[in-house]
Amino acid sequence: MKIQINEQVVELAENTNIEQLLAHLNKPLMGSAVAVNQDIISRSHWADTILNEGDNISLFQVIAGG
Amino acid sequence: MLNDDELLRYSRHLLLEDVGETGQQALKNAKVLIIGMGGLGAPASLYLAAAGIGHIVLNDFDHIEVSNLQRQIAYQSSDIGESKVEVTKRKLQQINPEIKVRSINKEMHEMQLTMELTMADLVLDCTDNMASRQLINKACVNAKVPLIVGAAIRFEGQLMFFDHSEVNSPCYHCLFPSSEEQALNCSNSGIIGPVVGTIGTLQALEAIKYFVGLPSGIKNKLKLFDGKSLDWQTFTVNKDPKCKVCGQH
Repeated sequence: MKIQINEQVVELAENTNIEQLLAHLNKPLMGSAVAVNQDIISRSHWADTILNEGDNISLFQVIAGG
Repeated sequence: MLNDDELLRYSRHLLLEDVGETGQQALKNAKVLIIGMGGLGAPASLYLAAAGIGHIVLNDFDHIEVSNLQRQIAYQSSDIGESKVEVTKRKLQQINPEIKVRSINKEMHEMQLTMELTMADLVLDCTDNMASRQLINKACVNAKVPLIVGAAIRFEGQLMFFDHSEVNSPCYHCLFPSSEEQALNCSNSGIIGPVVGTIGTLQALEAIKYFVGLPSGIKNKLKLFDGKSLDWQTFTVNKDPKCKVCGQH
């Protein structure tokens, strides 16, 4: 299936969850935030949030500076 | 009641239907705690003082260094070595002698922070590290005090508002659930001054809107600012029922 990650189209296996997506992209779990279709998904739901064809994923890092 | 000096000082607010004399009086009654007097806290505190927030408490434990001056616009070269909160306090009183400013020149731990929150209507998190951000969030959740969070590095900004006086408000910890986060900060990543200034300025704007009773565009939202494209992205932050800070855990 095709999804968009930060405006790039990516081909993924069906039934991929967010944790698997981050592993697939080689992204650390700590310090990352993920939104699916503009809704932030809490980390406790990463393993049970299955991505669907056409989902728009935003992946970004927590920043603490100020 | 506003005095004659205040009527003149705030005349541009009084012209606004959304502020007027009622709104200005609400600003005068407001008590805001600003934690962190760096690139966010500088513009936020200057604007809030100018706007007539009646009681401002400034907290930081740092002294001014030459490397701060590229973005922390409340300070000048002759202030190097001085305490950030003392210099800012002086500056705010010069801008607006009608308001009260108090400074806390040390790192607040949970107990003192909790005590300060009993006297605050709103908190601005203008800090520069994850441990402080988690501590402030937890204290605001427990004390049911609304929290406006700003953060910035490089050309990027993040802005969010959680009204902890409301039941079922999500919190910062729902979004970033660990104080061990390898979070990026200005000293390891760099920062462009106007980007952090934009976020601090918007924290002040949201604070003013909160007190005059205007709805916030960022409540339970995370706004991401891209200082290169000037694009904003908006995300909804949902309460995590399993959150260790605000959830049922």
